[in-house]
Amino acid sequence: MTTHYLVLSALLFAIGGVGVLVRRNAIVVFMCVELMLNACNLAFVTFARQNGNLDGQIIAFFVMIVAAAEVVIGLAIIVTIFRTRRSASVDDASLLKY
Amino acid sequence: MNGTIQAPTLEYAQLAPMLVVFGAAIVGVLVEAFAPRYLRSAIHVPITLLSLAGAFALTIWQVVKGVPTKPAAMGAVAVDGPSLFIWGTILVLAFVSVLLINDEDHFVAAAAAVPGSAEEEQALHEGAGHTEVYPLALFAVGGMLLFPASNDLLVMFVALEVMSLPLYLLCGLARRRRLLSQEAAVKYFLLGAFSSAFFLYGTALLYGYAGSIDLAKISAALGVVGGQETLLYIGVAMLGVGLLFKIGAAPFQAWKPDVYQGAPTPITALMASGTLVAAFGALLRVFWVALGGLDWNWSPVLWAVAILTMVVGAILAITQTDIKRMLAYSSIAHGGFLLVGVVATGAAAGQNSKALSAILFYLVAYGFTTVGAFAVVTMVRDAGGEAWHLSRWAGLGKRSPLLAGIFAFFLLAFAGIPLTSGFFGKYAVFQAAVAGGATPLVIVGVVASAVAAFFYVRVIVLMFFSDPAADGPSVVLPSRGTAAVVGVAVLATVFLGVFPQPVLHLAQNAAQSLFIR
Amino acid sequence: MGESITFWVLAVVSVIAALGLVFSRRAVYSALMLGVVMFSLAVLYAVQDAPFLAAVQIIVYTGAVMMLFLFVLMLVGVDSSDSLVETIRGQRFWAVLAGLAFAALLGLGIGNAVLSPPKGLAAANRAGNVPSLAELIFTRHVFAFEVTSALLITAALGAMVLAHRERAEPKQTQKDLSRARFVRFGQLGRNPGPLPGPGTYARHNAIDMPALLPDGSVSPLSVNRVVARYEAAEGTLPPEVERILQEEALSERANGHVARPLGEEDGK
Repeated sequence: MTTHYLVLSALLFAIGGVGVLVRRNAIVVFMCVELMLNACNLAFVTFARQNGNLDGQIIAFFVMIVAAAEVVIGLAIIVTIFRTRRSASVDDASLLKY
Repeated sequence: MNGTIQAPTLEYAQLAPMLVVFGAAIVGVLVEAFAPRYLRSAIHVPITLLSLAGAFALTIWQVVKGVPTKPAAMGAVAVDGPSLFIWGTILVLAFVSVLLINDEDHFVAAAAAVPGSAEEEQALHEGAGHTEVYPLALFAVGGMLLFPASNDLLVMFVALEVMSLPLYLLCGLARRRRLLSQEAAVKYFLLGAFSSAFFLYGTALLYGYAGSIDLAKISAALGVVGGQETLLYIGVAMLGVGLLFKIGAAPFQAWKPDVYQGAPTPITALMASGTLVAAFGALLRVFWVALGGLDWNWSPVLWAVAILTMVVGAILAITQTDIKRMLAYSSIAHGGFLLVGVVATGAAAGQNSKALSAILFYLVAYGFTTVGAFAVVTMVRDAGGEAWHLSRWAGLGKRSPLLAGIFAFFLLAFAGIPLTSGFFGKYAVFQAAVAGGATPLVIVGVVASAVAAFFYVRVIVLMFFSDPAADGPSVVLPSRGTAAVVGVAVLATVFLGVFPQPVLHLAQNAAQSLFIR
Repeated sequence: MGESITFWVLAVVSVIAALGLVFSRRAVYSALMLGVVMFSLAVLYAVQDAPFLAAVQIIVYTGAVMMLFLFVLMLVGVDSSDSLVETIRGQRFWAVLAGLAFAALLGLGIGNAVLSPPKGLAAANRAGNVPSLAELIFTRHVFAFEVTSALLITAALGAMVLAHRERAEPKQTQKDLSRARFVRFGQLGRNPGPLPGPGTYARHNAIDMPALLPDGSVSPLSVNRVVARYEAAEGTLPPEVERILQEEALSERANGHVARPLGEEDGK
């Protein structure tokens, strides 16, 4: 069963990664990052059972704390730029380039 | 359920520098909450500077008292020779950067007001400002201290976030060119979160492989656990992506020029010096303590990354027309040179300490020079803020010979000309690499240095041998803080270039004890 | 047996929801899909001897994080949807290709690892899942736990810096607002009363139908802008309303007014 869980987490992680590359609404991109973090948590919980120690569950718990803080900061930044531009598209923000 | 938990032992003396910085940050938050607006800045500056100085003193005291040989805080933090050296470096660089931040003219008056709105106008008129930058910077510095000292991957992940979150915020707070600054914050944030997801998945796979997140236990599991090598390899690769992103190594360098350009210049200085030092400390610790037994596998990859980073950094820097972007690409190239040192670590302890001390010395030398260079950038201004475009710098040597001379000196130090700190840094790293059998890498490094030297010299020529524009930028009279920063940076660059011995000796001593395994 | 049924059902649901998150055009759908994934994962945690994490997942992720996402989406505008134009040619194709390759690499790499049968958490959880976790958090990982407080403070401080506006002048009372409305009426002739409701004097009783004035013409004031924008995108906006709204926008632009979004409109 362990392998199944791990493959599921790998799939979710890859889907999240594709989302980050494909989507251009900053909020949706950020949601895809959250999906990747969730996939990591699934892997941690699965490995905790595999290895027979609780370290994995502890890490998953910490990841949730970190993610909560990150969401606050991220959405605050996105709202700020939205107020300025009235758009959340990553492409509209393109003053910076090579 | 036995119901009793044995209280953990925390070695407060060893952790003191970090605790002082975090404590001062929390005091700063309380000041924000309770002190009247007009007093805040006057309270923040001494608290911030004193705490950094105090933490530095505690670090020194730690060194004098004897470097600990066991991990502290229940095995979460490793305060060893390299950690202490890196802490000292970060604290001094942060102190200098705070002096730059102190020049509050760089930060937005009201971050919540839309750029160009009447509200912003009013905030500017009233002289409002965000004094929150001080506690935020202190939190970032606290994260930087913890990042290279963390002894397991969980603490490293938390430290990575503690370091990054305040920096994401600070990036978006520039007073002028606010759109650019906000974009930089969004980009830095999204890419940073993306890369930390990779770091985390790598951690998960390594945990699955070794059954533990302790760096030492991962190292012990190498070669013992059978049949799961794929977990290990993919895990190491993903962990590496997360760490190399923070360093800005190619191909993960894309954020660096954008963020360095958009962020307020004092924050850029803090990132270019402190974050780089912290990230290299963490990279060394992971690849050495945890994965040292695997260097046969990661070393070729790091070769490729180092070569790519040096080449990309040096070549793209030539095409830049913006001074901050140019410095960013130069920082990428220097990251490549430092990676040469990381590759030079080997199996033998002697070789290891040689490479490590070279990297430590390089980090000190580069950190001071880069803070000084960004400090100079803050002083050359147009009507609309800092003059970033290179064409505006034409003829600066005739207008303000002293400033242009200092900047030229920093550029020469970046290029690694003898009698500057950069020379000995490069020399030490390349020497270690040759001793470690990475001669081809050194050849690439030397060629890249030559290419890099070309564009540094181009800027110098532009400053001294072309005519100043009639409406050229003015050089503002520096505040006392900025002047002190430039002075310290010049002194450090000269001192390390002429008498590198004391600091080299310190670095060697620090590297002697190696990382705690 | 029970575990594998739960797993297969939830695996299919969560992968479909994850794909929905990536490929649905509307941001709100994406958010809801993310919620589905998070719920499924919570159940999978519960199945894998992690009841505490299952609860925390639901409370923190679906409770707090998702709500925050939805709030911000509402704030930013629910009707914002992605354009399908590619800025970098072929980017989407290569991104999907890279994703597939990456998924294959991860899946094969992990699938190929020879795993011993799981040790299970029976021993580790002997004192109960929550007490065992608590013991670890407050002994071995206590330093990390303390340091996360720095994260939380940073988050609070950051949100304050970026979103909190300090009031520079005293708050306007109802009386002030009403006075200002009538001053504006005197100067610009703008209607001081509330906006007309939709459907007044109209042949329909629906909110997307504009009110008719006594002379039979359409009142632009009665059209809800959000509804109008949505209908314009769908192509179901009555042509007359569209014309009037466009004329209005043009004249506003000519007068130097920037079209203000709904909600900041006067007279409400």
